[in-house]
Amino acid sequence: MTNTPNDRCVIKIKDFEGPFDLLFYLIEKNKIDIYDIPIVEITDQYMDYLFAMKEMDLEIASEFLVMAATLLHIKSRMLLPERKDETVDEEDPREELVLKLIEYKKVRDFTEILRNREAEWKKVHYKLPEPLPESAYEIELEVSPSLLKECYQKTLQAYFDRQNDESQKMKRIIQHERVSLRVKIKQLLDMLKRGVRLCFSAIFNLKKTSKLEVATGFLAALEIAKSGKATIHQEVEFGEIYIKPGRAVRDEGA
Amino acid sequence: MQDLREIESILEAVLFASGDSVPVEKLSEIISQDKKTTISILSNMEMKYKNSSRGIMLRRIGTGYQLCTKPEYEKYIVQLGQARKKQGLSQAAYETLAVIAYHQPVTRAYVEHIRGVNSDNVILNLLEKNLICELGRKDSPGKPKLYGTTDEFLRVFGFNSVNELPRIDINDIQTVMDEIPVD
Repeated sequence: MTNTPNDRCVIKIKDFEGPFDLLFYLIEKNKIDIYDIPIVEITDQYMDYLFAMKEMDLEIASEFLVMAATLLHIKSRMLLPERKDETVDEEDPREELVLKLIEYKKVRDFTEILRNREAEWKKVHYKLPEPLPESAYEIELEVSPSLLKECYQKTLQAYFDRQNDESQKMKRIIQHERVSLRVKIKQLLDMLKRGVRLCFSAIFNLKKTSKLEVATGFLAALEIAKSGKATIHQEVEFGEIYIKPGRAVRDEGA
Repeated sequence: MQDLREIESILEAVLFASGDSVPVEKLSEIISQDKKTTISILSNMEMKYKNSSRGIMLRRIGTGYQLCTKPEYEKYIVQLGQARKKQGLSQAAYETLAVIAYHQPVTRAYVEHIRGVNSDNVILNLLEKNLICELGRKDSPGKPKLYGTTDEFLRVFGFNSVNELPRIDINDIQTVMDEIPVD
């Protein structure tokens, strides 16, 4: 078994994908019937190949060594005298290997099919997708003259409020605000515990409270909703935000 | 009902504009026909493209349809000098792909069992190329991932659907035997 690569086995080194690939190469080269593999010969050639690899300082993947061990194992089993016991159907030691090789052969055949198909279908070209607008739907505007009027009135009112309420303005500048999220959460929860539906704009209104307070109030509402103590609901965009007590709060209140 | 020619024109326009493969559901929604009708219209168009003197054809990829050029005009297209160079696959990648296509859904361990070599990197590579995808996990110890082929795979290898993949019966030993050269 320690013979170096001889004339019988001049190997042109090619990249074998794995032990099966190498075995198949040997089987095809020697035109061997896969169902009657001359195990001694194949094992020798296989080992020769491994030694050749070793001599060339190629790294031998562990899978190749496992296969070498398998081949040697089969070889040794074939050498053992057959049992006389006729009742036990002694299986061919090569059977498992052959089945695996057949399975591998199928994959190899299919690989060829894939290769050919790919070459054929490479000739087909596709157009690159068109950068179409993100959404084909226009956002429908719900407008009416009355809504416009209402908005205008609100804006106008806000304008007048600003004009007239100079004192309030002054106060705000002087006043140092302390708004904490925790306080707001508590405040909201207290209201929710009474079990009513709250209108966000009724509690936090820019007319009565500062921007900071409204923003903190909104954060508080989100926090509460996150913890499941309330549900937030808004029917239309920019519409009224309703806060309803969630199950957690109702249970607490009961 | 709109007349058939009109519907076909709509489908052609939509498929052209999309470039990508368009799912049958989407197409049937656009032409407001049921799926079955849509498919029959599409397969009729597929035949028409094939048989008439057109440079493009319609092909089915999994559950969608896509327009593409006919392979015989490739030599003219390349003269445009814009055709994207397509990267080939290694032998290991082909083998792995073959095992997965054959036996899907399949685990990495099975691929390695058939190929006899570690297939970690090859599988990652195929995932990256979007030729295979994960199909959930196998209900066995370790819950290994299961792999299968993608629509991209069908596109690249010109299959209409997974059912079209050639199959060799595992027990059909005679066939395999005939294929092996015995002197």
